Amino acid sequence: MSDQLKINSHSFRLVKGDITDLEIESFVYYARNDLLLGAGYGTAISVRGGPTVQEELKRFGMLQTTEAVVSSAGEMKANFIIHAVGPKFQEEGQEGKLRSTILNCLKKAEEEGIKAIAFPAMGVGFYGVPVKTSAAITLKTISEYLSGDTRINDVVVCLLDMREYKPFHEEFMSISGV
Amino acid sequence: MGNRKRSYKAEKVIERMGKKLNRQMVASLVACVHCGLCTEACHYVLANPGDPTYAPAYKADQVRKFFKRHFDWTGRILPWWVKAKSLYTDEELNELKDTVFGKCTNCRRCSLNCPMGVDYATFNRMARGLLVSVGVMPEGVAIVSKDQWEIGNQMGVLKEDYVETLDWLSDELEDELGDPAVRIPIDKMDADVVYSINPREIKYDPRTISDAAKIFYVAGENWTMPSECWDMTNFGLFSGDDDLGGAVGRRLYEKVVELRGGKLVISECGHGYRSTRCEAPNWAGMDVEFEMESSVLTMLRYIKEGRIRVDKTKNKIPVTFHDSCNNARSCGLFEEPRELLSLVVEDFREMYPNRAENYCCTGGGGAMSMSEYTPQRLKSAVTKANQMKDTGAEIVVTSCHNCVDGLTDLIRHYKLGMQVTQLVNLVANAVVVEKKVAVPVEAVPVMAEDNVLKGYRILVTDDEPDFVTFVSAVLEDHGASVSRAYSGDEALELARREKPNLITLDIAMPGKSGKEVFEEMRADSDLKRIPVCIITGRPELRRLIYDRPVPPPEGYMDKPVTEDGLLLNVRKILETAHEKKSSEA
Repeated sequence: MSDQLKINSHSFRLVKGDITDLEIESFVYYARNDLLLGAGYGTAISVRGGPTVQEELKRFGMLQTTEAVVSSAGEMKANFIIHAVGPKFQEEGQEGKLRSTILNCLKKAEEEGIKAIAFPAMGVGFYGVPVKTSAAITLKTISEYLSGDTRINDVVVCLLDMREYKPFHEEFMSISGV
Repeated sequence: MGNRKRSYKAEKVIERMGKKLNRQMVASLVACVHCGLCTEACHYVLANPGDPTYAPAYKADQVRKFFKRHFDWTGRILPWWVKAKSLYTDEELNELKDTVFGKCTNCRRCSLNCPMGVDYATFNRMARGLLVSVGVMPEGVAIVSKDQWEIGNQMGVLKEDYVETLDWLSDELEDELGDPAVRIPIDKMDADVVYSINPREIKYDPRTISDAAKIFYVAGENWTMPSECWDMTNFGLFSGDDDLGGAVGRRLYEKVVELRGGKLVISECGHGYRSTRCEAPNWAGMDVEFEMESSVLTMLRYIKEGRIRVDKTKNKIPVTFHDSCNNARSCGLFEEPRELLSLVVEDFREMYPNRAENYCCTGGGGAMSMSEYTPQRLKSAVTKANQMKDTGAEIVVTSCHNCVDGLTDLIRHYKLGMQVTQLVNLVANAVVVEKKVAVPVEAVPVMAEDNVLKGYRILVTDDEPDFVTFVSAVLEDHGASVSRAYSGDEALELARREKPNLITLDIAMPGKSGKEVFEEMRADSDLKRIPVCIITGRPELRRLIYDRPVPPPEGYMDKPVTEDGLLLNVRKILETAHEKKSSEA
């Protein structure tokens, strides 16, 4: 299942699946401030990527909310993981922080010369960002970024299930003018 | 409400409470007359008679007081009269966390004994959800919730591991019954039955899956298991997170529809059954068109319809039955398991009190994942322990995986010497498999059963000498060459010297613990590829191993272990390691 559009000749897509098992250069992991991989997608990164990912993260210490760093992806299909600390549990200024986190991911990818990047439904699920809020902010922020001058040529938003996919699809349709 | 400043999180909790209240909750919040009839119904109170903070009415008041202060007119106008009090600080939220998560398993026994119909568990669950929404929760709750949100099951089982386990179980079944038709069908379209399971079955108790598969096979069922969205458990019931509850339920329902399945059969799990069959359609806000059934009813139906025959003489050991709170008290499922038991065991002994009045296993409500409350959980288990002991049975049967873990833990703690099993195991043991006409195949050399481990070097590590002797004897009887270590340091030394093919490792040992040994092994380039099977009597310590940033162990078993269980796990680990090595080569 996927939706796709072109912005300034850059590809922007929605897909349904497991982001940690995606064939793509890099993906975003919604990280903890201490960068411990922990549970959920963190489990998948630890198991599929091996211990080197966590080891590599030690050098970054603690991050502030909205910051992002890049590590290798160990033995995973992706080459890089962008660990981004987004807002959690109804945190104050949630929407602005979410927007900044997404922008920081894109900027960090740009700095590292990454061309393709996959985002999950940012903050949705365990961290409690409402899925419609996440869809609106994520898709708007990315589409605006791709409208500017960037070397990133493929952005994917990877949604886990239909609960996530439907609102993102609706928002995506409104952005693409369908 | 004065000028006292309220923390951001406390503000959010109160704000959200207004959205969560419904008529049932409000009725329960206002109806309590503090008569005290609930007190003796609670297993925490019975084990802590001098501590009033365990009384259901007291615990309920910790939620009720801020409900009254903000949402009830009596508390808004006369707070001092009705003991209404707001929440202000994060410390108060933490105290509330210890009450709603640590002092109640949401078993609902107090509700049954309340003349006013107060359903404390309902708003205790709501309070849990309010705290979770601001990130205040026990660490174990966070881990399990995140795994279920993002991996799709409570134990973070990845798809490849799930499918591989089903394949391996199919191989075993095919060997046992000599018929390729016994293999577990995955993602089969238009099956009459879609079978959903608890991830514990994949990770710690795969025998329950192969036993179910054997029963489906003998019954000639047209069935399947989904390759994803197969988890029928739902941590949303425990954490109070309705969004999680809805997401998990929706994934499973949509998968059944996608496979065009006729009926969803839910394996034996109390909270899974309650969530999937009763609660999740509401949380997900969707109509479920297909039928949902507990596997207990499925098995009973097969016997009644003559689709399977059973021989109860295969199960001679005296058994008793523990009613899961969610099955019995919340879903009324208590006669069917007894009827099924009477058909497959020779000696059934009732436990008293029972059915809806039964006491909680003490592992319910997510308690097994909250290790910080383990001492008080085990202390509160004394009532259950006495109940079980009084039956004189050697085996306690239950239709709930949570209860299996809770009961196993209390059996060990109170040294009851009993075993825990499920109905599916007993039915599979009693089922009569009709002999099929064997088709001669080209003869292939088959290793004698006694020598299946020949050529393998296995290091057995445990600080209990009796246990080391037992495990070593089983492995040696089947051809393995065994080394023994009684401490973590000794294990590492032997591992470095002998480079065994497999290490069995206890977690809690004096000196260097199993966790430290495991981490050192994974960090050591010479040892990191040696498969490890954790065998522990402390299941609450699992997370020490599984939450590490290193590849997880290749196997895990809870004590007590049986000879068959041990062999099954060891063979599986060695075969998988061999296949992995071959593919790498």
